[in-house]
Amino acid sequence: MMEVSFMSYILLAIILFSMGIMGVISRKNIFIIYMSLELMLNSINLILVTLSKHFGNMDGQIIAMMVIAIAAAEAAVFLSLIVSLYRLKHSINIDDYNTLKQKGTL
Amino acid sequence: MSDTIFLILALLALFGAGTMITVSNTVHSALGFIVTILALSGLYALLSASFLFMVQIIVYAGAVIALLLFVIMFLNIQSSHTPKEPNKYLFMLISAIVMLPIDYLLFRAFYTMTDIENFSITSKDFGTVKMLGLELFRNWLLPFEAISLLLLVSLVGAVVMARKKERS
Amino acid sequence: MSSYFLAWIVLIPLISAAFLGILYLYSITVKKISDKVFATIAITAPILSFMLGVGFFLGLKNGASEYIYEPYIWLGVNDYIINMGFLGDKLSIFMVLFITFIGSLIHIYAAGYMKGDDGYGKFFSYFNLFVASMLLLVLANSPIIMFIGWESVGLCSYLLIGFYFTDPLNVVAGNKAFIANRVGDLGFLIGLVYLFFYVGKLGFDYSALEQYIDIVPNHILVIIGSALFVGAMGKSAQIPLYVWLPDAMAGPTPVSALIHAATMVTAGVYMVARFHFLYDLIPNVGLFIAYIGAFSALFAAVIAMKQSDIKKILAYSTISQLGYMFIAVGLGAYSTGLFHVFTHAFFKALLFMGAGAIIIALHHEQNIFKMGGLRKRLPLIYIVMLVANLAISGIPPFAGFFSKDEILLKAYKHHEYLIYGIGLFTAALTAYYMFRLFFVTFEGKNYTEKKLEPLSWSMKAPLVVLAFGAAFSGFVGLPKVFSNTNLIDTWLGNWSGVSIHAEHYEEIIFMGVSVIAGLIGIAVAYVKFFKYDFSQELKEGGIVYNKFYIDELIDFLIVRRVRSLSTFISVVIDDGVIDKTVMSLSNGFINLGRRVGRMQSANTRMYAFFMLIGLSSFSLYLIFKLGQ
Repeated sequence: MMEVSFMSYILLAIILFSMGIMGVISRKNIFIIYMSLELMLNSINLILVTLSKHFGNMDGQIIAMMVIAIAAAEAAVFLSLIVSLYRLKHSINIDDYNTLKQKGTL
Repeated sequence: MSDTIFLILALLALFGAGTMITVSNTVHSALGFIVTILALSGLYALLSASFLFMVQIIVYAGAVIALLLFVIMFLNIQSSHTPKEPNKYLFMLISAIVMLPIDYLLFRAFYTMTDIENFSITSKDFGTVKMLGLELFRNWLLPFEAISLLLLVSLVGAVVMARKKERS
Repeated sequence: MSSYFLAWIVLIPLISAAFLGILYLYSITVKKISDKVFATIAITAPILSFMLGVGFFLGLKNGASEYIYEPYIWLGVNDYIINMGFLGDKLSIFMVLFITFIGSLIHIYAAGYMKGDDGYGKFFSYFNLFVASMLLLVLANSPIIMFIGWESVGLCSYLLIGFYFTDPLNVVAGNKAFIANRVGDLGFLIGLVYLFFYVGKLGFDYSALEQYIDIVPNHILVIIGSALFVGAMGKSAQIPLYVWLPDAMAGPTPVSALIHAATMVTAGVYMVARFHFLYDLIPNVGLFIAYIGAFSALFAAVIAMKQSDIKKILAYSTISQLGYMFIAVGLGAYSTGLFHVFTHAFFKALLFMGAGAIIIALHHEQNIFKMGGLRKRLPLIYIVMLVANLAISGIPPFAGFFSKDEILLKAYKHHEYLIYGIGLFTAALTAYYMFRLFFVTFEGKNYTEKKLEPLSWSMKAPLVVLAFGAAFSGFVGLPKVFSNTNLIDTWLGNWSGVSIHAEHYEEIIFMGVSVIAGLIGIAVAYVKFFKYDFSQELKEGGIVYNKFYIDELIDFLIVRRVRSLSTFISVVIDDGVIDKTVMSLSNGFINLGRRVGRMQSANTRMYAFFMLIGLSSFSLYLIFKLGQ
């Protein structure tokens, strides 16, 4: 069995981060995009905590906590935005939120 | 022992994330996300971040995802409302390929840090509330206050944006 | 008399013109200003210039050789320096005197003639501008400054011919004048450029040119002389560039009187005289000039014999008389040519002004065959027109006799018998057609019973003054047989190297022959027209009546070709090639922009994807960098 080390955590974080980006780019459902965004944030949190443990320093965990707080705030705002957008467009397809489109394009 | 736990938790996290990004039904993917979060909190616990482990579950799984599910049901999203995504797997493959250089770069960046002793020996109350509190209110006071302000602002903003426009 | 005032001779009418222009604009936009104001200001200007001219004349008479005033350097490039300079020598002041004198009289006349017309103030502004330009032309110290005046008189001629611009035919006539002038100007410019090229480094005013003209090789001098004469052809309406002058009669009669009789058309003659040092060296070109003059005189006289519009007859007679002047200066008899300029100015202006008076009196009738019986009804006009006609026909003691006779004498003495013959024959023709005009206009039985329009004193008084001039101005150039002092010759100086010597008896014979020729012409006209029977309408047809179809020929040969070339260039090259190239380039850019703009599809995922690609490629780059 491979020894679980610092790099394993990092590797996991990187994979989760990539999956988050894949989700943002490939999905049209806005909720899923939001959750992918949160996934990215979480993977970063993992990195932070790993580093904190690696160096024996508390800073990483504190930053991670702050990130969680910010993510919570962001969740509130984001979801209220979705509510407004839904009221306007009656759709959760991100392709329908295209009022800023350049005229004459597809 | 801890290795096995790590492996299980890692696999759970990956599984949950995978579910989240591939499944069509919104609520199902939200549930997948919860699995990931719980796995991650377990990983935090493994990394001696006991307070964070609890905070993650309470705030993330308890508040954020709950809010998300609340909004989904508030807007009465049904399967017919969810958008059709015919090419999602193709896009995922493409983005995975595009991400590879970035991944590699990150990996290399962190790899250079491995020359120090892995996971230094830490004190007993590393990652406990007391330690966290002391650090927070000693060195990180200003960011702490700023975040509280941020939370206030986002609270007000969220309420303003989501209310029904009743006036003409 | 300080030479500083030379500039003011030009500046006074110029400033007056500008002021009148502004006043006119004020008058039509803000508050109407009475015609009298315009007339007063406009008439004062040439009178003031005349007084300054008299001052200089007296100065020259009392011994000064010439006045030069060079206020500043106009163009200075390395060695080539062109000064803005005024030259007041005997020739210039001579020209200034009669230009301003006759100009003032015609201004007074015009004040009455133009009464009631639209744009009264505008007319006088242009008129003063013309006087200023003509004065600049004759007072210039350098051919380039003269060219400024040269072009300006062409401009004023255009402005004034097309004065009644509401009728498009008048505008066409103005255009024709300007374009024909322009063709001449091109020749003039070519001559100037050659001159400048060869001699310009040593100074480009007349004295320097005169000094150094020998440097230029003879064949170049021929080119220069011919090219400059092309300019004179255009300005002074000789063959082949005369076609604009008859059409220019579309302008108001004072314009015809001043510009196309007394002043602008004599600019060509002045130019040849001014460049006498050049033309003395190339007598062949001079001979060519003389022949052109002779043929123009004959040709125009023939056409005039069959015209029925009173002003057109006078226009052709101008061309004819100008031909005489060119005969003189072509053969080197500069002072004789200028003498004829002088006398011609008087009687031609008088003729035009009289014709204008008749036209106004008969409510704008210009066809002589619709006039008649005016002897008793316009007695003053009858008398002055008779004087003018006698003058132009070369009957002594009126002015035209002395000048024309001297030209013919000089021609004979230069052994140019053909020119002499043509000149003599044309003199007879001149007498014929002028008296044809006279008899038909005044004596014909076909008179209209309509009440005549009364003529103001401002129109009549100048006529009287000019009549005196036409009668007596010949005495400044008396031939030797009468007195030994030919005032003009002594004043202007007989520059030509060849001096003519004629015995007294020869002079008398020649004078007699000229007089007989004139009398023959008058007699034929009398017989034919004195008791003209209008019951048979004059046939309006035939080659001569249609001016030998020259205009149509020019239109066919030149105008049509140029127009088709212009159309070709405009449509094929301009629209098809150049426009297409430029537009395709710009359209290409627009399309490119549009295609790039499609990236702003508001598709968020696409944005995110592009960001990702950016980040990814950057990381790729970094990886490679790290690898090295």
